[in-house]
Amino acid sequence: MALQFLLNGLIEGSMIGLGAIGVTLTYAILRFSNFAHGDFMAWGAYSTLMLVGLIGSAVGTVAPIGPLSFGWPLILAGLGGMVFTGCLALLLDWLLFARLRARGQAIVVVMASFGASMALRNLLEFAFTSSPTYFSRKIQIARPIGLGIRITPDQTVLLGMTLVLVVGMHLLMTYSRTGREMKAVSQNPALARVVGIDLDRIVRMTWLIGGALASAAGLMVGVLVQIRPLMGLDMLLPMFAAAILGGIGSVPGAVLGGLVIGLSQAASVQLVGAEWRQAVAFVILVAVLLVRPTGLFGVQER
Amino acid sequence: MAAMLETDGLVAGYEPGLPIVRGASIRVEPQEIVVILGPNGAGKSSLIKAIAGLVPISGGAVRLAGVEITRVPAHRMVQAGLAFVPQTENVFPLLSVQDNLRVSAGGLPRADTAARIEEMFALFPDLARQRRLMAGSLSGGQRQMLAAARALIVRPRVLMLDEPSAGLSPRFVEMVFARLAEIRRGGVTVVLVEQNARAALAIGDRAYVLVEGRVAHEAPAATLWDDPVVAELYLGQRSDGGR
Repeated sequence: MALQFLLNGLIEGSMIGLGAIGVTLTYAILRFSNFAHGDFMAWGAYSTLMLVGLIGSAVGTVAPIGPLSFGWPLILAGLGGMVFTGCLALLLDWLLFARLRARGQAIVVVMASFGASMALRNLLEFAFTSSPTYFSRKIQIARPIGLGIRITPDQTVLLGMTLVLVVGMHLLMTYSRTGREMKAVSQNPALARVVGIDLDRIVRMTWLIGGALASAAGLMVGVLVQIRPLMGLDMLLPMFAAAILGGIGSVPGAVLGGLVIGLSQAASVQLVGAEWRQAVAFVILVAVLLVRPTGLFGVQER
Repeated sequence: MAAMLETDGLVAGYEPGLPIVRGASIRVEPQEIVVILGPNGAGKSSLIKAIAGLVPISGGAVRLAGVEITRVPAHRMVQAGLAFVPQTENVFPLLSVQDNLRVSAGGLPRADTAARIEEMFALFPDLARQRRLMAGSLSGGQRQMLAAARALIVRPRVLMLDEPSAGLSPRFVEMVFARLAEIRRGGVTVVLVEQNARAALAIGDRAYVLVEGRVAHEAPAATLWDDPVVAELYLGQRSDGGR
């Protein structure tokens, strides 16, 4: 059996995991499933694409870095896209979710996120059409790294980016004041206010972080696959599966959940056929939840 | 001189038009321990929650050391000098004991935080031994200790507690009240809502009896227990509460 699926699964799992961090944080802190999260990914990819174009028109053509398909403009635009998408998430909260949240009915907010998702997706289709586009059409040569596995330079760099973002997020959640406050709010919002935590600030941080990481995932999908308005919608179910599998509220759980889903999807392509890939991922989700209802890293509150 | 904490005709409740606190006026002098008693549903908890900014206030005023704090948001109360310990769910169960203290010390300068955490561990040695444990795995009594330490870490001027002895074994009840007396000696003003009236009155200076959201009686704690007015107001509750 060719082991290439391990690498493919790792890459797919990284994309899912990066997106799932935002899903799990939104769910834990704002207590609703944000079905527009996938569209943040697509908006992240398109905003990055726009910024690359802007930089290109300002400084002219820039040579790619070494064997990569892209140069420094994409890195800069990627950071800009993260900021943009974080702000987009903030704006959506201010325009829509915050007002509905104030009425106190979670299901209304969830339904609104369906609507927001559709609106965000249609805006992209309106502006960019539904046909796919690419950051670069350059063909990359995959190099063997042993055991019959091959990896392209872009894949190596983007896996590195995922690792940096995930480790950074874990450190933020564990050691920073904001991270501790986010955990406190997710466990007991009323007590969090009593101890002096500004809930509005934590909500803003959650949207900024979730949006930025979704944008990074969108960049990854855009570079390694393609950019389409529907790219986020396709990732939505795997992202939710990853967040639930990992245990709601857990950043390492979301990433691990993403890797499990990504690897099982890649393995199922090889073993049972590509049409079953999502089904296999969900069978695994159901199986894990039957054994451990709180997910891999979830903790049952006493 | 201005009272340390004062409410003036306070009206508060969760639903508009349905107040639970209906014009309550209390006055707490610096370093006093004031006990708020009353039958079930009298609005005792709602009164201190309204003071803490957790129940919407629709009328009246709250003043802390002469400064009006009536509609200050709950998360700013700590900075204003007012700490509150809810009756239940008063610790973060999935944070360690140490992180519970850390997250509550957010407003302090960073350099001060570590020292204050150690001071709290010195005050509650039981907690020091469990500092890395998740707060959710502590016993009921230890949780109350952590909740108190969590509130005290910011050096509040006023500490308000909602039924700190609820659900505790008699040994812990005694310990909690002994600690509260100690905390007052350290210069903190204490406001206490309690069902366990006998234990609370033993350490209290004065008491208010709340009935239907209003102050029905006020007396020194020492004489309140034998006050015939209280017996009448509190009828049916006293035998349970005093146990």
